[in-house]
Amino acid sequence: MTSVLVDGLMERISSAIDLNQSIGILLPGPNYQDLIQALFKRIKSNKDEVWVYVTVTKPFQNISNQLPFITEIKNLCFIDCISKAAGLSKVAKNVIFVESPTMLEKIGLEIMNIFKEVDSKTKKYLVIDSLTNLIIYNDPEIVTEFFYHIINRTRANNINVISLAIEEEGMECYLNRLVYLNDKILKIRDSFI
Amino acid sequence: MRCIPKTQLIEDKLCETGIEKLDEMLCGGIPTGSTVLVVGSSGTGKTTLCMQYLINGAKKGERGVFFTITEPLFKLTKNLESFSFYDKKLVESGLVNLIDLRIISERLGLDTEKYTVEDASALLDILRDIANELNVKRLVIDSITALCYRLQTPEMIRDFIFKLGSSLAAMNCTTLLTSEIPPFKFQYSPYGIEEFISDGILFLGDVERKGDLIRTFQIVKMRGTAHDRTKTAMLISTKNGVELETLLRARE
Repeated sequence: MTSVLVDGLMERISSAIDLNQSIGILLPGPNYQDLIQALFKRIKSNKDEVWVYVTVTKPFQNISNQLPFITEIKNLCFIDCISKAAGLSKVAKNVIFVESPTMLEKIGLEIMNIFKEVDSKTKKYLVIDSLTNLIIYNDPEIVTEFFYHIINRTRANNINVISLAIEEEGMECYLNRLVYLNDKILKIRDSFI
Repeated sequence: MRCIPKTQLIEDKLCETGIEKLDEMLCGGIPTGSTVLVVGSSGTGKTTLCMQYLINGAKKGERGVFFTITEPLFKLTKNLESFSFYDKKLVESGLVNLIDLRIISERLGLDTEKYTVEDASALLDILRDIANELNVKRLVIDSITALCYRLQTPEMIRDFIFKLGSSLAAMNCTTLLTSEIPPFKFQYSPYGIEEFISDGILFLGDVERKGDLIRTFQIVKMRGTAHDRTKTAMLISTKNGVELETLLRARE
């Protein structure tokens, strides 16, 4: 059953990102695990693409413990923004540890530095997991500014963006404002799952 | 801001720092022969910025010299080794020269605490001689504040920096002088003289965000070039050294 759900989500994400430069995914917390599984399945499916995954939600170690196959994906680079602050950063291949999720400029720079080394013909993708957690660590206004910069730069450099927004009480207005900067919004609902 | 396309620049008129965004902000580089004050409090990245400037020059074949007063040489080199821009061979080959100014002062028999007019003149001569003999195109004094502390009057400070800057400019040598200020103060030097004699001011600061410190960088003044004056974020990593990035400033 889970596999069917994950496959369904993967197809939905795939077709949306094929048609749009940036997509925002609004999802309830309980569906987070299925969604990232679907995302990594999509990432794994095409070795000719380059993916950068910014995690503010879970430490890299935690994600790789749950989904061990991700450590084998060669076209994927992580930017882990929470492990270092929590004292959890162990040196790992293809993982960049940023000191704190408040270091937004550093996160932006690391993203662009990775893509700078990729040739222009290669398809490039960026995942931001998640806008909700960026807001937890920063003022919403500065996250909005950060996301504007990201959207503008990725558009200019032909990079597709997938940003996750985990629905949380009291955050709706900020998340809606951010998510609507994307070209397309996917709303994941329990009924769909 | 419109810059002159790089191809139209007369190469030897601008001294490229080799730090991509900084050169963009400077419209190509620092005008050759300038004396530039690199201002900042402790930990803002003055020494790293200056060292990267020197090493990037050496990689293009431009000889440079770094005079340290605040840090012993062994500590300086130890810190440098962690940066990937650092290449030991550049020091061994003499393209980058690291000199402890306190040792020179001692050898000259100068008072370590306060310089007389004669002492200052002797020190100036030796600095000029070294720059001339090594034929350096880039020179750093880290820090001019420590040196000014030993000069006893504002007139001596003014005279020293002016004469040093003029002689080095005549050699087409571009000089960076680091200036130490207290944290979160918008001032350029403790003595208030250095900035008026300098051709340029690079201001390194910090902004606090949720208790974390974000390094900032701003070109306050640069004679001879239509430079950018926006405040940017300055990031330092062992992999890339100094990098500049747009500063997010919501609710600043």
